[in-house]
This record gives sequence, C-alpha cells and structure tokens, in this order.
Amino acid sequence: MKWIGRLTPKTLVERVIGAAVLILVAAGPAIFNDYWVNTILTQTFLFGIAAASLIFLFAYGGMISLAQTALMGIGAYMLGNMVTQGIPGGETKGLTLGWDPTVALVVAILGTTAIGLVFGAVASRSIGIYFLMLTLTYGVIANYFFGQVTQFGGFSPIAGINQYTPGFVGDLVGHPDKLYYIALGTAVVVYVLIRYVARTPFGLSLQGVRDDPVRMSSLGYAVPLHRTLAFGFSAFIASLAGILLVWWDGQIAPGNIGLGATIELLVICVIGGLARVEGAWLGAFTFIVINNYVRDVELPVVGGSFNTIIGLIFLVIVILSPDGLMGLWDRLWRSLGLGGGGTSDVAPAVQIAPEASSP
Amino acid sequence: MLERLRHGDVGQLAPKIVAGALVAFAILYVVVITQPPPEIGNGGWRNTTFGSAIHDPGSFLQILLDAITFAGLLFIVASGFSLIFGLMRVVNMAHGSFYLLAGYIAYEIQQQMTGEGFAIAGTDVNTWEWVLPMLVAAGCVAVVGLLVQQLLLSWNQGQDLRQALITIAVSVIIADQVIAHFPRTGVFQAGGGNAVSMTWPGWTERRVDLELWGVQYSLARLAMLALGVAVGIALWLWLYRTKTGMVIRAGVDDQQMTASLGINIHRTFAIAFVVGAALAAMGGTVGASQGVVGSGQDTQWLLNSLVVVIVGGMGSLLGAAAGSVLYALVLTFSAAYLPLSATQYSIVLTFGLLAFVLAFRPQGLFGRAG
Amino acid sequence: MKKLRSWKLLLPLAALVTVGSVFVPGSLAAPATHEIRVAIMTDCKGAFGFGYELDIGGAQAALAQYAGGKIKNRNKPSAGMTGATVAGHRINIVGYGCGDDTAPTAAKETRRLMEQLRADVMIGPLSGDEAVTVAQYAKTHPTKTFVIGTAGSQDPTLQIAPKNVFRYHGDGAQWNAGLGEIVYKRLGWRNAAIIMDDYSFGWTSAAGIIADFCAIGGKITKRVFPPLNTTDYSPFVRQLPRPGTVDGYFWVIGGTGTGASLKAFEQAYGRIDPKDHAGNLFFAFLGADRVVAPKVVGSYVGGFGTGGGLKTKQAKAYEAIMKRHYPKLPAADGFVYNYYNAAWALVRALRTSNGQVGAALQRAMPKTNRSAYEISDRGIVKLDSRRQAIQDQYPLQIVRRGNTITTAVVGYVPNVDQTFGGLFKPSSPAPGRAQPKCVKKKLPWQGKIRVVRNGVVTKQVIR
Repeated sequence: MKWIGRLTPKTLVERVIGAAVLILVAAGPAIFNDYWVNTILTQTFLFGIAAASLIFLFAYGGMISLAQTALMGIGAYMLGNMVTQGIPGGETKGLTLGWDPTVALVVAILGTTAIGLVFGAVASRSIGIYFLMLTLTYGVIANYFFGQVTQFGGFSPIAGINQYTPGFVGDLVGHPDKLYYIALGTAVVVYVLIRYVARTPFGLSLQGVRDDPVRMSSLGYAVPLHRTLAFGFSAFIASLAGILLVWWDGQIAPGNIGLGATIELLVICVIGGLARVEGAWLGAFTFIVINNYVRDVELPVVGGSFNTIIGLIFLVIVILSPDGLMGLWDRLWRSLGLGGGGTSDVAPAVQIAPEASSP
Repeated sequence: MLERLRHGDVGQLAPKIVAGALVAFAILYVVVITQPPPEIGNGGWRNTTFGSAIHDPGSFLQILLDAITFAGLLFIVASGFSLIFGLMRVVNMAHGSFYLLAGYIAYEIQQQMTGEGFAIAGTDVNTWEWVLPMLVAAGCVAVVGLLVQQLLLSWNQGQDLRQALITIAVSVIIADQVIAHFPRTGVFQAGGGNAVSMTWPGWTERRVDLELWGVQYSLARLAMLALGVAVGIALWLWLYRTKTGMVIRAGVDDQQMTASLGINIHRTFAIAFVVGAALAAMGGTVGASQGVVGSGQDTQWLLNSLVVVIVGGMGSLLGAAAGSVLYALVLTFSAAYLPLSATQYSIVLTFGLLAFVLAFRPQGLFGRAG
Repeated sequence: MKKLRSWKLLLPLAALVTVGSVFVPGSLAAPATHEIRVAIMTDCKGAFGFGYELDIGGAQAALAQYAGGKIKNRNKPSAGMTGATVAGHRINIVGYGCGDDTAPTAAKETRRLMEQLRADVMIGPLSGDEAVTVAQYAKTHPTKTFVIGTAGSQDPTLQIAPKNVFRYHGDGAQWNAGLGEIVYKRLGWRNAAIIMDDYSFGWTSAAGIIADFCAIGGKITKRVFPPLNTTDYSPFVRQLPRPGTVDGYFWVIGGTGTGASLKAFEQAYGRIDPKDHAGNLFFAFLGADRVVAPKVVGSYVGGFGTGGGLKTKQAKAYEAIMKRHYPKLPAADGFVYNYYNAAWALVRALRTSNGQVGAALQRAMPKTNRSAYEISDRGIVKLDSRRQAIQDQYPLQIVRRGNTITTAVVGYVPNVDQTFGGLFKPSSPAPGRAQPKCVKKKLPWQGKIRVVRNGVVTKQVIR
C-alpha cells in the first residue's frame, strides 16, 4: 500500500481524526451544555485514564488486571484521608489528617505506585487467567478493606475532598470547567506517556515478555521484574485517575471500588478495544453515554433493569467483536485492503479471539 | 563457594522463616498468649473476647468447629468452581449467580411444600422437604449451566480471556434477573426486603453434647460438615473410579493430548460444567438454610470461591478441601480472636493468607505449576 | 483476502450510527423552562430496592392530593403522574433516581437528576449514606432544594446541615427512642449486650438504643461489630454473652444479616425467647421470612416514626387518602409516609413562594408539618434550627395477626429531637463503636412514654 511519507493511510486518518476530536473537546465548554461538559466528558477523560492503565497492561504486557479500579480507589482513599480535616468531634470519616493538598497529592500518587509494585510482585509469577483471578481478588479485598477498616473511612463516603485542592489547581467546586481541562490535559499526557514508554527499551522488552516469557528469560531478562514494574506503572496511571475521580465527585466510598465498578471498567475496555490504547477513551465515552441514558428503562417482557441491558450489550460485543470498537475499525481497514498502521501493528500474543487479529 | 551458598540459601529462606514465625506466633497467640478483656474498656493487644485456648478451651473448641463446619459449605461451592476451572480453564464468574439463583429456587420449592400458615416451624420440616428443594434447584441450575456452556462457551474453547468475559456478562444478567423475579411467595409485610431463608430439617434443630469442656454444638452445622465430606467423597469416587472422572483428570492434566486420543472431550466439558453448576446450587441451598439468601451474596460467594481456589490450587479436589479449611480458619478465628481494639482488621488477615500462599506457591498449595 | 464476515462488521456499525444519532442532540441544546421540576430520588437496587414503588407512591399521592395531580396507574406508582400544579405553575416530575444504597451511585443519580434533567427540587434520598452524599452536593449547589425522603443518617442535618436540606422525619437514632426504656421497665433488663452492623447506620441506630437504655440506668456490657458482607455470623454471635449472664440482647443488623445472625444465635445458644431480644426496625423487615420472623414474635422493636394502627382522626384521614390514590400501598409503611410528608411540605412551600424555586423556596419551606401519625402539639411536627424534625416516635412489638406477622404500636414517645436532649451535638463525637458511652442521664421523654393499646394512646405511663 502506498505510503505517504512514513505514514500509512490508516495512521494518517487516525491522526487527523484524533486531532479533530482534540480540537472539538478543547472547545467543549463552548459547544456542549453544562451537563455534557461536567459530567459526561469529564468522566470520559478520567475513566479513560483508568481504562488506559488496564489496556496498557494487556496490550503491552499481556496481563489482564482487574485490580485497576482498586488501585484507583487506593489513590483516591489516600488523598481523601490525608487532605480532609475533621470537624471537631463531628463527622470523622477517615483519618482526616488535614495535610497540605500538594504534599498529599504527591504522597497519594507515590503511595499508590508503591502498593502497585507490591501487588505486582506478589502476582508477577502468575500468568493469564490466574493473573486475572488474582487481581480480581485484590479488587474485592480492597473493597472490603476500605469498608471494614473504619479508620480509613468505612462504608460511608469520605466527602468534601474537592474542597481541598492544591494551590496550582485552585477552586474546582466553583469552576468545574477547570477540572474539565485538567482531566483533558492529564488524559492527553497519559496517552502520550504510554505510547512513549512502549517504545523505550523497557517497553520493548516488556512486549517481548508478553510474547514469549520463556525465551526472554533465557536471554537473561528478569521476567517477574518486568511485570512488576509494568504493574507499578499502571498503578501510577490509575492513581491519577483516582485523584481526578475525587476531584470530580468530591467523595470516595467502597462502592467506587467494588465488584460492580471493576466490571464496569472491564466493560469500558472491552467496548473500546483491549488491543489499542485509544480504545480506553472511546470505550469510556460509549459506556458512560449508554449508562446514562438507559437508567430509566424497564425491559418489557423479561423484567430486570438496566443492568440486564448492559450485560447483554457486553455479551454481544464479546461474541461479535471481542476487539471492541477499535477492533471494528481495524477490521474495516483490513477489509478494504488498507490494513496496517496504528498501534495495532503490534499484535498481542495473548489475544481474546485468535481470528480477530489475524489479517 | 560456601559463602555464596549460604547467601543464596538465606535469600530464599528468609521470607519463609519470617512467614513461619508469623504463623507460629498466631497459633501461640490464640492458644496461650491472649487474655480475656479487662473489667473496663477494651484492653490492649493481648485482650480478646475469650482469652486463650488454655483459659477457655470450650470457646476455642466451638470456634474451631465453626471454622471446620463452615469449611464444609465452602468446599461444596468451591469444588464446583475448581472443577470448571481445572478442566476447562474457564473462570466461571457466574458461579456466585448460580448460587443465588439456586438459593431462591430452593426457597420457593420449600415454601410450596410446607404449605400455608405464617410460620415454618423447623421441627415440622422433614428431611424430604429439604432434599427435594435442593434437588430441584440443582436440576434447574444445571440446566442453566448447560445452556450457558453449550451456547456461549463450547465454540470458543481455548480462548480463556474471552470466556471469562462471557461468564462476567452472564453473571451480571443472571444476578439482575434473579433480583427482579424473586422471591415470589411469602407474604410481604411493610418494608420486606428480598432476603428470605430456608430451614434445615427438624431433626437438626438441636444441639449435641460433645462432652468436652461442656460444649454443646449445633447438629445443623455438623450436618453441614457431613454434607461437605459426603460431597468430597462422592467427587473423589467419581473422579477416581469412573471413566468420565478419568477423562476429566486426564483433561485437567493435558487437554490437547486427551482430545487427540479420540475422546469426546466436548461432552466431558459439558458434564463438568453441569456438575460444577450443580455443586454451586447445592451450596446455595445449604447456605440459604444456614443463613439467608439475598442480593449481594453472589459477589460474596464468588470471592469465597476465588480465595479457596487460589489458596488451594486449581483443578484439585484436595486443593479445594485444603483451601476451604485454611480460608475458613482464617475467617473464623480472625472474627473471634483478634484483639478487641482491632477487630476491624480481619480482612487484612485474609489478604495475608493469599499473599502468604502466593509468595511460595503461585499455583496454590496443591495446584499444578502452569 | 479472507472472506469478509460482513454482517459482523456492518451490524455493529449500523447500531453505532443509530445510537449515536439519538444521543447527539441531547448533548447540545439547553431549552428554557417555566415549570417546577421535581425529582424523586429512591432506591431500585440493593438492600432497599423494595422501597422504589413505596417512595414514589407516597410522594405522588401527596402531589395528587394537594396539587391536583392525576395518577396514571393506581397499581404502579412508577408509571408516573400528570397535571399537578401549584400557584398556577405546572409541576413536572422529571425523573426517578435509581440508587442502590451506596454513595457513588447516589452521586451519579443526583447529578443526573439535578443537572441533566435540571430538577429544581429533590424529594429523597432513601438511605443514610446517600443522604450524606446529597447533603454534600447540596452544600455546593445552593439554588437547589432537597427534602430528604427516609434517610436515617445523622450527618445531613446535624453536622453538615446545609441551608437547603430539610428533613421532616426523625433520623436512625430518633427512631429507636423509647425502646431502651420499655425493655428496662417492662422486661426488667438491667444489663444487655448489643450487636450491630459495623458501619454508620448501624452505629447511629444503636446510638439511639444505647442512649435511651443507659439514660434510665441500664448497662451495655458488650458490643459486637460484625462487618458488612459477613457470610457466617457464628463467630460474632458467640462473642455475645451467654444467655443467663445478661438480661437481653439488642440487634441492629440489617440486609441479609438480620435473619442469618438470628439463626446463628439459635444454633449457638438454643431457642430464641422473644423476651430476651429487642431489635431496631430491621426486625420488622423480616416479615416475609416464614422461618425467622415467627421466632421473634413478641419482641420489642424500634420504630420508623410511623404509628400504623393508631386510631387518631389524622391517621385515619391519611390512610383514607392513600387508599384513594394507591390502594395497594401500605400507608403505614415509613417509606410511603415519609415521602408523603416530604412532598406535602414541598407543596405548601411552593404555595407560599408562589411557585418560585431556589432561595425563595427555601425561605418558604414550612417550619412545621401536619403529619398523620403525630400526636404532640395537635399533630404537628416541628423543625429544629437545623431543619431537622422533632417527631413523636412509636416503639413497636412484633405481633401475629391471623396468618401474617406484623408490628403493633406499644408506646408513644413525645417530641423526640435529634440531639436527645443535648446528648448528640454537632461537636460531640459521631456515633461509632465506642460512642455514645453508656451514661445515666435525664432524657426529655424519660418517664413520659405512654402506653398504646389497640391503636389508642392511653393516659398511662409505661412503668
């Protein structure tokens, strides 16, 4: 296929679309109504970041981790506990340390990354489906931990966290558009960062570990170490999502990191496409919009509620197009004979469905 | 060279020594160190509700029996999960939903059988009025499991991740549908929730005198343990003494080889999934009789199965048993023997158990490597 | 080239395009409106999912009665209603919130109702943690008004207490007023153990029991805290003192735990004697369970601020109104009653403010409300300075009526306030594991609880 400079047509089209979308969302507050800006789109950015941490681990590390929601929550809980101040004698949810928000921000990010490294170290020798089960268990235990160890908050929410923002962030409660741009900026940075890390020596050897751990090990690469570091990096990204979550919602509760939330993040990734990082935000947008508009629906004959609808949509996607929307896009190009380009060039060894990725 | 050896040994031994020391301390704490609470307040790190096993052996025995009997129920549910995973590498995320569905179906059947009246007095219920609900529930859930396996899982065998995602979708749908349609019978009082319960047969409603330190223990719980043991024996006989069981064990060891030997592995998969679902259903009936069945339990039991199987190892009957006992011991003793000022940390011990096992044997205690 | 499975490609694409074209318009426009937009926030999932139709029914019945609304389906409140107007302005019920008793879902639903559907007023939410979320939201959205539905948490009106949050019913602690005194006097309990869910509603509800029981001289000898999500209650129940070493047990466990923990107690200690056990309102929720509920027939139970079966004129009038609009709903149920009162207060406020919302509506929210099961002050519930109701409470007893198990009012506790006579202050520690401490005190209603027999409040005081 003809190449335009170094770019394949598909890559070029993708970049043009990406730029157009960026321009559109950059002008978001002027175009969309308040609800879309402050709820739908801001959530898209922050849950997209969380999804990107999961997709990074899968696309480049071959590990499917269901602990990303938990890591997001750990970051959020750390920030919430450190930053909120207790009303004397009154509402004492969490530790209410009342630290300086900037310090708390840094500690939350570093702390979550450290916990991610510990989780990764324990799990690094498990692979594939064992890894999935183990990370799922992490997630549920984190949920129970924050619910039961009441020192850190308990079942009730730690609230009012977005009143204590660092100086350089300013007042988010009165100016929600600020958070919109912060989330957008962070999402862009995360995307660029992931693409960059994938091309570093670490990223390349990580992809080698994904494709053939035995060979990498015999070449002298420390396979568990690579996995642990990858997990730590994904924890770092998830912590950013967690902090954005509490700045957006103002509160954190165990419900944010329960099994339901974990499954929602997985649904987001699958809808968007587990093989490509762009799928994170595409999936987040699609899911949030669907979730928002089906809440009042009641199924006529079968009974049940929106959960059944979401479950059915998820089932249909996994059966018909397990690569999600980005996979659909890739297949469209391949069917037109123009395939190639974009991050999908690097085919993951651990695939969801073998036939879906072969040209 | 000696120095290198010593260093290497220490590097590998150090975590094992630390872990061993922690376990030994925990046992000593429960048996000897701890003391009953002081007159006023909660006391310090040494004070627990019962005091040490030496001081109050009766309570210790009761808690120990609580753990072991609960392990019986855990085993019934987790063995199904382990069977499905061991053979087909399918993480059946819908296992908890099967439990929930079965609990409600068994409840409905028992309600119909025990007739009108505002109460089901436990003593009036005979054994058949418990066994039939269980059989019906197991049957229904087995059919559901068969449908799920045939329609959604049989054509993508080998794609572990995709199958896990499919079972997740199924679990969400089933859980939602169950809550929408159950419970159906029972008079709804003002503000009734959807948590309902079954009852054990009447003859279990007494306590057995164990003649040891004055302990009287519930016969129902002992029956639960007996059921777990019976299920274990039945599974063992099936896996080790029948042809299907042999095929299953071979499939657990090496799926491809078994299929290439001309054995109809697909039929075996279907059988294994159905048996696994039926076990979840039996667990649901027992759980509904022992406690209640209500929304939220599908998540609880999925987690319970996961922990048991991760600790004990996949695809191994002995692993499921060992995992159940260990997990039940940790859960029960942490509930009763943590210091009074720290009772909320029981979940940390569960995580500690997981980390402890995974650090030394990532495949579980009795699992096969890889 | 591989054979193209075109339907696998085209079907999802077509679905996407269709779906997208539906959503895009919703993202752009923001039409102006002259109506009063009301949202009803309740639970449709989780532990209190059964409250959905009850809450909506209660609120809509009040709107039908006092704002001339037409109900679409008398058997299904969530089918909606039309035609409600106040002071010439149309009331538009923009949506029903579907919570699940957790804070994150409450936050999402609140945003959806108040921002996407642009409600001016919320009637709700249903549960404690949701109300904490809503109160925090209310603090940062002063132009919206919130009338709490049935939430029992203390914080929204004691510690957070924003000026746009109103609660016309008691909180979880208030609901249990009088229970401690009744078991002290009637059953002779002097020391008791208490077992409660280890989270804020458990602590709050238990605080009401402990405060009342200890105030009159009782002693709580042991507190046990099983966490939520406990599967096996046996090891917790064993930590309760053996029968015979205490006079009684208080139970503050809800959801799937109520039945499970009672069964575990029976297995550990033998048959349950209802005279030795008292519970909070969750005992009354056992009603559907033919196995456990009969075991506690005769137990005294904390109330829900409702007096089902009271034979006052006001109560009968209310029950007749509910029967007219939604005959199948249990009028005496707290879920129905509290939402009814909230909606009624809202209608009265809208009349006073002439249909204006925002700060004008908040100024117009009534400081008193005539409530069906209220007896003090000729049936008027008053709000305190933090917009929290001072409400009569009615301890109950589980009784058998024919073939059903229900509750009967046994006591009348006048004018219970949220602070319990100064015991709970915004600056005092929130209810928790060790709070409140067991102290002897004179509560405002101590010694003034009157016996209620067959729905009639007698002059007799409980001895």
